[in-house]
Amino acid sequence: MKKRLLFILFVSLTFMLSFTPGLLAEEGVTDTEIHIGAWGPQTGPGAAWGAVPRGTRDYFKWINANGGINGRKLVFHMFDDGYNPAKTKAGVKELQEGTGIFAWAGGVGTSPGLAVKDYLAKKSIPWVGPATGSMEFVNPPQKTLFAVYPLYEGEAKALVNYAIETMGKKRIAIAYQNDGYGKNGLRGALASLKSHGMEAVAQVPFEAKDSDLKPHIMKLKQAKPDMVLVWLTPSQAAKVVGISRAMKFNPQFMSVSTCSDFIFMNYITKGAWEGVITGTFGEVPDSKLPLMAKYKEEIFDKYAAKEERWGIFYYAGILFVEPMIEGLKNAGSDLTREKFITAMENIKGFKGIGPEVNYTPYKKGDIYSRQGTSETFLVQCLKGGKTKRLTGLMDTK
Amino acid sequence: MDMKRDYFEDVQLFTSPVVVFWFAFLIGSLYLLPFFVSNYYIYVANYIAINIIVATGLNLLVGYTGQISLGHAGFFAIGAYGTTVLMVKAGLPFLLALPGAALIAACFGFLLGLPALRLEGPYLAIATLGFGLTITQVIGRIELFGGRDGIHVPDINIGSWIIDTDKEFYFLLITLTIFLLWFMRNLIKTRMGRAFIAIRDADIAAETMGVNIVFYKTLAFAISAFYAGIAGGMYAFVLKFIEPEIFTLLMSILFLAMVVVGGLGSMMGSIAGATLLCWLDLKLRNILDIPYVGEWLKNLSENWFSLTGVSNIQYIIFGSIMVGIMLFEPLGLYGIWIRTKKYWRTWPF
Repeated sequence: MKKRLLFILFVSLTFMLSFTPGLLAEEGVTDTEIHIGAWGPQTGPGAAWGAVPRGTRDYFKWINANGGINGRKLVFHMFDDGYNPAKTKAGVKELQEGTGIFAWAGGVGTSPGLAVKDYLAKKSIPWVGPATGSMEFVNPPQKTLFAVYPLYEGEAKALVNYAIETMGKKRIAIAYQNDGYGKNGLRGALASLKSHGMEAVAQVPFEAKDSDLKPHIMKLKQAKPDMVLVWLTPSQAAKVVGISRAMKFNPQFMSVSTCSDFIFMNYITKGAWEGVITGTFGEVPDSKLPLMAKYKEEIFDKYAAKEERWGIFYYAGILFVEPMIEGLKNAGSDLTREKFITAMENIKGFKGIGPEVNYTPYKKGDIYSRQGTSETFLVQCLKGGKTKRLTGLMDTK
Repeated sequence: MDMKRDYFEDVQLFTSPVVVFWFAFLIGSLYLLPFFVSNYYIYVANYIAINIIVATGLNLLVGYTGQISLGHAGFFAIGAYGTTVLMVKAGLPFLLALPGAALIAACFGFLLGLPALRLEGPYLAIATLGFGLTITQVIGRIELFGGRDGIHVPDINIGSWIIDTDKEFYFLLITLTIFLLWFMRNLIKTRMGRAFIAIRDADIAAETMGVNIVFYKTLAFAISAFYAGIAGGMYAFVLKFIEPEIFTLLMSILFLAMVVVGGLGSMMGSIAGATLLCWLDLKLRNILDIPYVGEWLKNLSENWFSLTGVSNIQYIIFGSIMVGIMLFEPLGLYGIWIRTKKYWRTWPF
């Protein structure tokens, strides 16, 4: 009898013990900690983007130093995936199933992101601010995925609209990278042209690995455009503008926000970048915005490693997760994933160092219920890499 | 000792009941593994199994036939894209799409084998390297394959069985891996296998003895590519999304490293090499969690190498392990295994 009683006691105890953690708190949340995960290449071909999670890491350190969120400290788990999707997936699974992550922040790259997107969706784990402007993360929208990075398509529209309406340009050519990044830009530019009853005088695709760009530029030149939209990686865009100027081919050049680090672009083109107009989503590195100055002083100067550079990749790591911090704060001290998602959906008119962020309750097919930003403004590069702001914030929906 | 008296003793799979027992034990534990470990480790096992298939195929080429390939990521890509496109665009079921894609890879392997008839050593390495680099460029230009944007991979379904968890995928993959390993083991013990080895040891002598070099060299490439194709096809389902940039030169080099570190011309070596390198590749980044040592390495890296901290140390250690193995045991992991076995067999003498 006694034995039996003991046995029942033992079984019920084990039973209770195995269930209690689940009853007490959400995965990745304890009384004192919130576990957040991120990945970004620190090695390999994409290593330049590695500054993004490092920016996020230092931002979280700063938040913890200022008291954390509702009494909890953020524990940041970042790992190096070398821009290899198989390793991204392995790392995400390891952290999710081993440590238990409450939500994912940032996450560099389109293909690493797409490799884990469905996995996170299936488990209903929130993910805020993938570091890529690809449409695939919001189209179709997904309940737990909140995008911050502005869509390339909208930016291209804004640029072409400005060229036609304000500058009176008539012959527009497009140089684009032959991948998702370039094609998103191409699509936006063509849509804007179509709405003005015009067509592109030339569309020239570039491969990421092309090194001899003269044939491409000759093709552009033959079309005699008065504006060329250059939707390429920073290094190729620099080459195209530099070589064109050397060939006495001087239309108005416009380019994408990834090439809006004017000091850098002006430096690598030896001054040829002067006059180029780009879209931009965040602030420029030498921005006078008080919040930027504060971040630089309190985060970058204090926590960044000594060889780190205050560049767009680094503070993009902050920009992408600012809305997440806002959501975590608003979700209250009894933090669950459901409450966090509701808090994210209630973010309206949030302004950090990026464009304004708005989310709405999840609606099937409504991209902008999960795409938080849609604003961009245009800037022009002046002599010495100085920035001139051309427009106010423009909505690109 | 290992004295063989007739041909059948040479070709038999199991030399004694002890071997049978351990083999059954191993297979049994492989199939029971998913019931004891967490989902993450099942994913890791899947990743390793895929690499074992490639390494086994590549070992036939490098270890047994004495050719070299720095382009296996290309065959891997053909397998991955072939399977996906045959399923998504042509509507074929998985059971036809996978071998179909692998056959396409094998055809490309045959074609690449043709220049191999005239090229050797470093020249062949460059030719295959060119193939590996070209194939992703070509795939990236074809809209049907999703171009540079990549393509989404559907769930596998075999009849009414829909495979959408790592566990189910593991059972399918491990069965496939065991079958392919068994096939390779038998292949090597046959006339064909001996022809491959003869070509490796002395191709002119082999030809004089009546081995058709044209046939066997291209066949080695084709079979090797077939294995890479199958593995690539399975890899697509692990990632669920593929794009050309995934199949880099680094991948080809890593495949070759698995074969060499594991031990050339040994199946056990391919398995051990693939397992070790995959494991290190995934796990070395956790090196920081080791008490004391992790802290020390972090400081070392941040002060002397770069701001990214441990990631560089990770590759330095990865490299040193490879160098260490090759330095102390040119036969690779298989050599270490042989020595250990010999030591115990003759113990205590």
